[in-house]
Amino acid sequence: MSKILYILDNNKNNEYEYDISEDTIIYHFSINCSCNVKLNLVKKDISLYYYYNNINYDDNEFRISVIHSKSNTHSELFNHGVNVGNNKLNYDVEGIVPKKSSGCVCNQENQIINMNDGKSIILPKLLIDNYDVDSNHGAYIGKFSKEKLFYLMSRGLSLKEANKLLLNGFLINMDSVDSSEIKLFIDEIEKI
Amino acid sequence: MLKIEKLSCSLSDSNTNILDDFSLELKEGEKHVIMGPNGTGKSTLAKVIMGHYKYKVTNGDILLDGESIIDLTVDERAKRGLFLCMQDPTVIDGVSNSEFLRTAKNTITGEKVNLYSFIKDMESSMVDLSLDTSMLHRSLNMGFSGGEKKKNEILQMKVLKPKYIILDELDSGLDVDSLRIVCDNINKYLEENKKVALLIITHYPRILEYLKPDFVHVLKDGKIQKSGDINLAFEIEKSGYNDIDVGTRIDIDE
Repeated sequence: MSKILYILDNNKNNEYEYDISEDTIIYHFSINCSCNVKLNLVKKDISLYYYYNNINYDDNEFRISVIHSKSNTHSELFNHGVNVGNNKLNYDVEGIVPKKSSGCVCNQENQIINMNDGKSIILPKLLIDNYDVDSNHGAYIGKFSKEKLFYLMSRGLSLKEANKLLLNGFLINMDSVDSSEIKLFIDEIEKI
Repeated sequence: MLKIEKLSCSLSDSNTNILDDFSLELKEGEKHVIMGPNGTGKSTLAKVIMGHYKYKVTNGDILLDGESIIDLTVDERAKRGLFLCMQDPTVIDGVSNSEFLRTAKNTITGEKVNLYSFIKDMESSMVDLSLDTSMLHRSLNMGFSGGEKKKNEILQMKVLKPKYIILDELDSGLDVDSLRIVCDNINKYLEENKKVALLIITHYPRILEYLKPDFVHVLKDGKIQKSGDINLAFEIEKSGYNDIDVGTRIDIDE
């Protein structure tokens, strides 16, 4: 059974630093703020699943660094942002596996949806100093695919309704999330 | 009636017509089939009728119950009763099948559907389609097999109750049992809704043995070259398109 942690940032810049010593799932929701996160996997054979979901109206930056300080540790980062206005949104996502840590899995998937003409940047970084590591990254910046919108609209949903459904799926994309913990965030999606 | 009048269309970024002066009428309760070699515009026809963003109408008109729909958005066409069962349904991660279906039903009917009765209805329809009811709670088409995707399209058809149904290669990716099941469900829907018209796009006559069409048309070079009954489909299956005499177009009204 994993430890589950919820973080909700609302219009206030924050910094977090955690030592992770057991299997952990972090659901991090953020409304229009910058954030700096440092996560250190300090015990062998543990896993971290980290879901960052961000709604953005002004110029903001999200930095996260995951350090695999012990062998056989596993990290999966899913960073999803929606850039609503014509502003800047930067993601700087770093996975670090030092030489002493072998058998690690260090993955990250980053996506930013631009609802308008905002400038978004994703910097996916994998700093791997050990040969026995499985590590992948993916990054996407753009709008919702026209094919998805066509499919939803072909069943009668208006463009607005289709976008709303896609936004919900994109920003609250975990089956296990407890919606009562993030009511404020869900309400914010309605406003986009 | 769905009336396609001298329709020409091309890709949005091209001037080369894919459909060229194409005409067809689907009257209430009729079942028409479009067959044709690869690349002749069968799927293009289905997508243009639905208003797909990749295509532009360069000439002609599409009339639904007497009104032109070419200036309508995709959702407005759906609300008027058009339904396109897609050849390769889109995967949408994060949006559950039930959430999508309920939103679509709310939109099409204009009524707020009760969640409990909706789930019960869905489960019953899914049993009819031999679909695992757990698929209701999975992301839309995500991880579905080819057959499950097609059955899910027919599930949507049953929920949304359209007046005009276009089946774009429904039979591709379906095994014989699944094909029989989806066709049984379509036939049951048509039996219960006698005014519904069906446009079937296919390469093979097997699906037609189940759906029993009224007319079969051969599409070539962007227009209908020949029309006939189901025997035309069997003739194509036996001899191919090259041996079909396209010089004798039969008007279906005759």
